[in-house]
Amino acid sequence: MIHFDNVTKVYVNQNRPALDHVSVDVDKGEFVFLVGPSGSGKSTFLRLVLKEERPNSGAIHVAGKDLARLSNFKVPHLRRRIGCVFQDFRLLPNKNVYENVAFALEVIGKPRRFIRKVVPEVVELVGLDGKAHRMPDELSGGEQQRVAMARAFVNRPMILLADEPTGNIDPATSIGIMKVLDRINRTGTTVVMATHDAAIVDSMRKRVVELEDGKIVRDQSRGVYGQAY
Amino acid sequence: MRANFIFSEVWIGLRRNLTMTIAVIVTVAIGMALLGIGLMINAQVGNMSTYWADKVQLSAFLCKKNDPFEACKGRSAVNTQERQALLAQIKSMPQVDDVFFENQQAAYENFKAAYSSNSVFLSAVKVEDMPESFRVKLHNPEEYEAVFAALSGAPGVSNVVNDQQLLDKFFGLMGKLRWAALVVALIQVFAAILLIGNTVRLSAYNRRRETGIMRLVGASNLYIQLPFVMEGTIAGLIGGVISAILLIVAKIVLFDGMQAYFVLSTQLDWSDVAQVITLTTVVGVLICILASFVTLRRYLRV
Repeated sequence: MIHFDNVTKVYVNQNRPALDHVSVDVDKGEFVFLVGPSGSGKSTFLRLVLKEERPNSGAIHVAGKDLARLSNFKVPHLRRRIGCVFQDFRLLPNKNVYENVAFALEVIGKPRRFIRKVVPEVVELVGLDGKAHRMPDELSGGEQQRVAMARAFVNRPMILLADEPTGNIDPATSIGIMKVLDRINRTGTTVVMATHDAAIVDSMRKRVVELEDGKIVRDQSRGVYGQAY
Repeated sequence: MRANFIFSEVWIGLRRNLTMTIAVIVTVAIGMALLGIGLMINAQVGNMSTYWADKVQLSAFLCKKNDPFEACKGRSAVNTQERQALLAQIKSMPQVDDVFFENQQAAYENFKAAYSSNSVFLSAVKVEDMPESFRVKLHNPEEYEAVFAALSGAPGVSNVVNDQQLLDKFFGLMGKLRWAALVVALIQVFAAILLIGNTVRLSAYNRRRETGIMRLVGASNLYIQLPFVMEGTIAGLIGGVISAILLIVAKIVLFDGMQAYFVLSTQLDWSDVAQVITLTTVVGVLICILASFVTLRRYLRV
């Protein structure tokens, strides 16, 4: 599903590569934790999958497509098959829960009938039924992250990328978030989650890929966060 | 659905940037109105040249009683004999195509028609004040000098007026006005482009959250950019409509009013005005669309 082959990314005006000859394979339906300290290259990895950045060398395949040969014109279609969740939720403050989720479908031109049908389903899936008409500032951090997950998942993506989704949320609420991610993963969606949260990684017992200074230092199925942190 | 969504985005954008949008509308309106006035002057001059091309003539005014002209000093009004002699002389000249005589009554009628709006002027002038004249039509209006010279010295002729010279003077003035209008229009267009650039930039900044999410969930470039371009287009269109109103007012007040001051002036057709309005509106909208697109490429990387 995601295939990195010897990928190196150096940002302009930086001496040290953000990713240094990284090769990794993520299969369909897998749940992968991407761990490592700040600046180890986790976010760069996710940005490369979305083709928000281009690698300096190496090949990236996402959902069977060679990103180097994917024209700019087709990038939006790639992104429709990838959902994204972030630490800061990125909700639209002037739209309610339903509208925030529907927005993701409206802007890719889905018909209204379809939107009316699928949005309530997804809102229920993330555990927000009954709160569809709340505004983001009326929700707790955990609930806002659920809205973001509903928005990321509403178009049934093949891959869900989560960049420290529990970074702004207390541990008790984080468990709920992880349950939603697990539920999404069980529908067959590949999930890649970058995180600092050792407790979560340890409790989930999923595959762990550890980055340090842009290199993969560990790739372990059913792993834990690691001793050093 | 799609159209609905884009229009609601456009409406939000226009409302958020109301002051900038108004600035764009006013600039486009003034710029396009001036461009239109330049084009209307063009049409007017073209109109008049074709209208007068085969009518331009020399007018030889004859001495009347107590005529203040130098050539008539110390003599009485022109008599029948002199008139016949003049007519024969004019007819004998090879450059002359046609000639007719305008008596005092006919001259007064023409004067009345030309200055119908100016009652003070009309009441001060009587039939006896009007000079008689020979109206001479030439084969080629360019070759007026020989006839002009011959008539200027002839006995009983007070003065000779060449209509072409009057027209040239008028056309010279119109030419200057046209250039002034076009130069100011150009400056306005430049200002409009900068203003639109700024508006789009503000708009893109205001909506960076929305556009960020749109990029993320895979909205196409067209979908992301269209609301911004539409904002510019709508502002341009409103500016175009205002400029159309200004041009219609200009046609009625300036161009039709000109006839009261300049007798040779012809009426500017409404069809010409319609053409000018169409052209300026299209130019205004195109400028807005182009300026929006160019700025978007810089501030809305997709």
